[in-house]
Amino acid sequence: MSMDYDVLVVGSGIGGMESALKLGDMGYKVLLVEKEASVGGRMILLSKVFPTLDCASCISTPKMAATIHHPNITALTYSEVEGIRRNGDGRFRATVRQKARYVDEAACTGCQQCETACTVAVPDQFNADLVARRAAYIPFPQAVPKKAVIERVGTSPCTDNCPAGIKAHGYVSLIRSGKYEDAFQLVLDATPLVGTLGRACYAPCESECTRGSLEASVPIRRLKRFVADRHYATMDGPGIAPPPPNGRKVAIVGSGPAGLTAAWQLARAGYQVKIYEAAAQPGGFLRQAIPAYRLPPEVVDQDIRNVTALGVEIATQAPVRDLEALKHDGYDAILVATGTPQSTGLDIPGEQLHGVVSGLGFLRDAKQGRAADLAGKRVIVVGGGNVAMDAARTARRLGAQETLVAYRRGREEMPAHAAEVDDAEREGVHFHFQVAPLEVVGDAGGHVTGLRCQRMTLGQPDSSGRRRPEPVPGSEFVLLCDVVVVAIGMAPDTAAFAAQLKVSPNQRLQVDPHTLQSELPYVFAAGDVVTGATDITRAVGQGRRAAFMIDRWLQGRELDGFVALDDRLPVVGKAQVLARQREYAHREPVTVGATFSAAPRDFAEIEPPMTEEEALAGAGVCLDCGVCSECGQCVAACPANAIDLNMRERKLEVEVGAVVVSTGYKLFAADLKPQYGYGKYRNVITGMQMDRLLAPTRPFNTVLRPSDAKIPERIAYVMCTGSRDETVGNPLCSKFCCMYSIKQNQLIMGALPLADVTVHYMDIRAAGKRYDEFYEQAKSMGATYLKGRVAKITEKENGNLVLRYEDIEHGGTLVEAEYDLVVLAIGVQPNREAERLFVDEPLGLDEYDYVAEPDEDLNPGQTSIPGVFVAGAASGAKDIVDSILHAGAAAAQVAAHLEQSKTKMKVPQ
Amino acid sequence: MSAVAAAEVHEKRAGSAPRILVFSTNNISDPGIDLAGSQHMHYSPGVEVISLPCTSGIKPAWILHAIEQGFDGVFIAADGDECAYLPDCSKRASRIVGEAQALLQQHGHDPQRVKMAAICSVCAEPFTKHVQQFSATLAGLRSSGVQ
Repeated sequence: MSMDYDVLVVGSGIGGMESALKLGDMGYKVLLVEKEASVGGRMILLSKVFPTLDCASCISTPKMAATIHHPNITALTYSEVEGIRRNGDGRFRATVRQKARYVDEAACTGCQQCETACTVAVPDQFNADLVARRAAYIPFPQAVPKKAVIERVGTSPCTDNCPAGIKAHGYVSLIRSGKYEDAFQLVLDATPLVGTLGRACYAPCESECTRGSLEASVPIRRLKRFVADRHYATMDGPGIAPPPPNGRKVAIVGSGPAGLTAAWQLARAGYQVKIYEAAAQPGGFLRQAIPAYRLPPEVVDQDIRNVTALGVEIATQAPVRDLEALKHDGYDAILVATGTPQSTGLDIPGEQLHGVVSGLGFLRDAKQGRAADLAGKRVIVVGGGNVAMDAARTARRLGAQETLVAYRRGREEMPAHAAEVDDAEREGVHFHFQVAPLEVVGDAGGHVTGLRCQRMTLGQPDSSGRRRPEPVPGSEFVLLCDVVVVAIGMAPDTAAFAAQLKVSPNQRLQVDPHTLQSELPYVFAAGDVVTGATDITRAVGQGRRAAFMIDRWLQGRELDGFVALDDRLPVVGKAQVLARQREYAHREPVTVGATFSAAPRDFAEIEPPMTEEEALAGAGVCLDCGVCSECGQCVAACPANAIDLNMRERKLEVEVGAVVVSTGYKLFAADLKPQYGYGKYRNVITGMQMDRLLAPTRPFNTVLRPSDAKIPERIAYVMCTGSRDETVGNPLCSKFCCMYSIKQNQLIMGALPLADVTVHYMDIRAAGKRYDEFYEQAKSMGATYLKGRVAKITEKENGNLVLRYEDIEHGGTLVEAEYDLVVLAIGVQPNREAERLFVDEPLGLDEYDYVAEPDEDLNPGQTSIPGVFVAGAASGAKDIVDSILHAGAAAAQVAAHLEQSKTKMKVPQ
Repeated sequence: MSAVAAAEVHEKRAGSAPRILVFSTNNISDPGIDLAGSQHMHYSPGVEVISLPCTSGIKPAWILHAIEQGFDGVFIAADGDECAYLPDCSKRASRIVGEAQALLQQHGHDPQRVKMAAICSVCAEPFTKHVQQFSATLAGLRSSGVQ
């Protein structure tokens, strides 16, 4: 989309608004772009203006409203200008990036219910970080437009790393807010297997957690179990009503995590779903393979009841061999999610001997109470995956005298999760690495007596990136044993479908990896039957995808738009998150409470549930990496249905005749003067923070000091912090710090009549109409002004601050004085964003990096680029009065330029 | 509703705080009123606020309607001379108030039941003072039996 305007104004502080309004009044079409969600810049945040002591908000709100409603001004808030280029004809092209607000501006009424519902708190930049605001926010009460924004920096690493697309950050922030059932429902939105994942998930979220770089990651999985336990303690089923049926039927083959998740999603969309399960009980590997000490079968039952509560029918002992026949039973679509039920054999002599069992068969028997007693037996488990670990730990529980895992590579190369290996070791499982079985040895009765093995050495990495094991010649030996459990791999059982579907040589079904649709359009396939053996979360993700695509296909829509996994915002980098704060207080991690026995004897669950206290502490350490947690509370709370977390930024191309740069200034970062302790001593604050404490919209309704909320009695000002100071690279005077400090002195004396105010200054610069009188007035009100620069500030135990300074007017002696609160009168710095606006022709800067005005004496507002003008403090420190004057001058310059360009165009060349 | 019926409604509410309907403006007076709430300032619980883009759009008939529906008074929180839309907003608004007062009188209601004041975007305290005074005036009307 391309649009034409006469002028582009970048930045809507008081300078930008003034230029825009004057140009609009002259009849020019103005595009005003503001990066924040409200126009108004800094002035609206101030307490009063000097020397009139007019209320800054009262006088700037009308200006803000006038700017937004002006018929000739189009104001784009929460947008940024990038890439301004000059055309051959002297006009400019620019790209405006409209950042995603995630709120429909037209529908939002500014009611603030999203703010109330939001579960994420971040420092409020509009209150100079003195208090917190929510991730869903309206910048300040006087914001124009008064529309909410959801701040999303990106996808939080935990959420991003979940193959099931479960909003981990979302449920953590809900738990932190005490909204346990909402947290359960948020997980339920992705999958019915909340209790299962709360126990048996390998928690890829936790391995990416930024908090993990500090003490330990947020215990995300256990938090999920916490909300599942709470839900199931009071409620059977999901707690939501089945939707009205849509009249269509879907059959699902297989009731593992992929099938159950797909059934759940389809049933919630109104489909009539029937699951066909070959085994006697539903659940797939959740029931058949995962041992009860990790996942009690009752939990699987509870999760499955979520699905059946929505009317999903599960037929057990109902294997499906003919998909076409199933279709003829009246189904509109079929999902095959039969997993990998076959164990891969060792393919060595002796495998038929009594005592050789497959890993899956062994686990299944144990789960069903059919396992043989292994008391006094020696068990060897061959393999290094999670099934091998489960088998070994199960063997320990069945009484095996000795359990040994034989694996052909090293510990590092094991495909099992490290935690599983560690836990197995804790339960007395022994490991024999770099050995490969050659033959199962048996006695005359056909019973296993040992496993003949060969030592291996690790060679070059193979296609999986792991080092390939190679036999060591002449290293054969026999490990004596009574039972051999073969757990080296699993494969799908798809022979029955080979006639109808494409099956790969490794028995996997071949489907489009994005849509999961097979060559038979009504058949979709998901989970391990497609991917080979993975884990629960991947299967859940596949089940969600399949359900989504089946729904799209049955609606005759394009098979795309699966936002949950395919269109997440880019992940937020850990370094970016950690850089938000100078330091992090240590938070004691919530320890994993599982108790291990070196000789476990039963299948009782080993991990205890979290207490509420532990859950709150565990969730409380979350760093809110993506800022918005995607918990969805705002979406539910919004009465206008205005919130859409799937919104994405838009780019707008515009052509303009002139540009006004009114990007303002930056405040000096006070921590660059470490001798003043800002950021370290809590009662050292900046002038901007004091202005917020005094503003009509002040956060605490009084002036108090941050460390203990005490009303300060002795307040000191340290002038020229970051200005007139070569040591921080800024020799310039910031011009308005003296005056705003004097203003604050008067306001403090008004607000706190008993407070003593002392100002440590170099010299007071009060040049301007009624400025010096204003200074004299402050002195007569009782403020003390002491000449002499402050050398150092130290903090006492009670939070008071000791200032060390040279008292120039009283003999130059070194003095130390104690105060309750210190205000640093910070100066200004150039806003370097101005130069980044232009792509092909650099915008000239002066030696201090402010926007240069090459002819500032006679043509203020003109920059190095013809047609580009500067308004307000972007060209150097200016107070409000001067900014408005300068912006008015810039507007006149723009008008002259535009009129001149028109005249030029009319002259025939 | 007739003046008699309205009087009955007022009668029933005699024990409670007078009900005041406030017309605010989206950008200027509404944030000021909002601020009074967020700073936990006290004002009459009988106050209900409807926000509009501009005071000059208020119709005198709305004010009459509000009174006849049982409000004791209508307070217009205007922008004064700071209206973003119209330079003569104050003039128009005072004309509307004048017309509304005449209309109220025609229907047998006291013209004091409508009041207007300029409220800025942070005028939380002035707003609470205005409505407290207005509330007292309306309570006075109620006890003296004036319609």
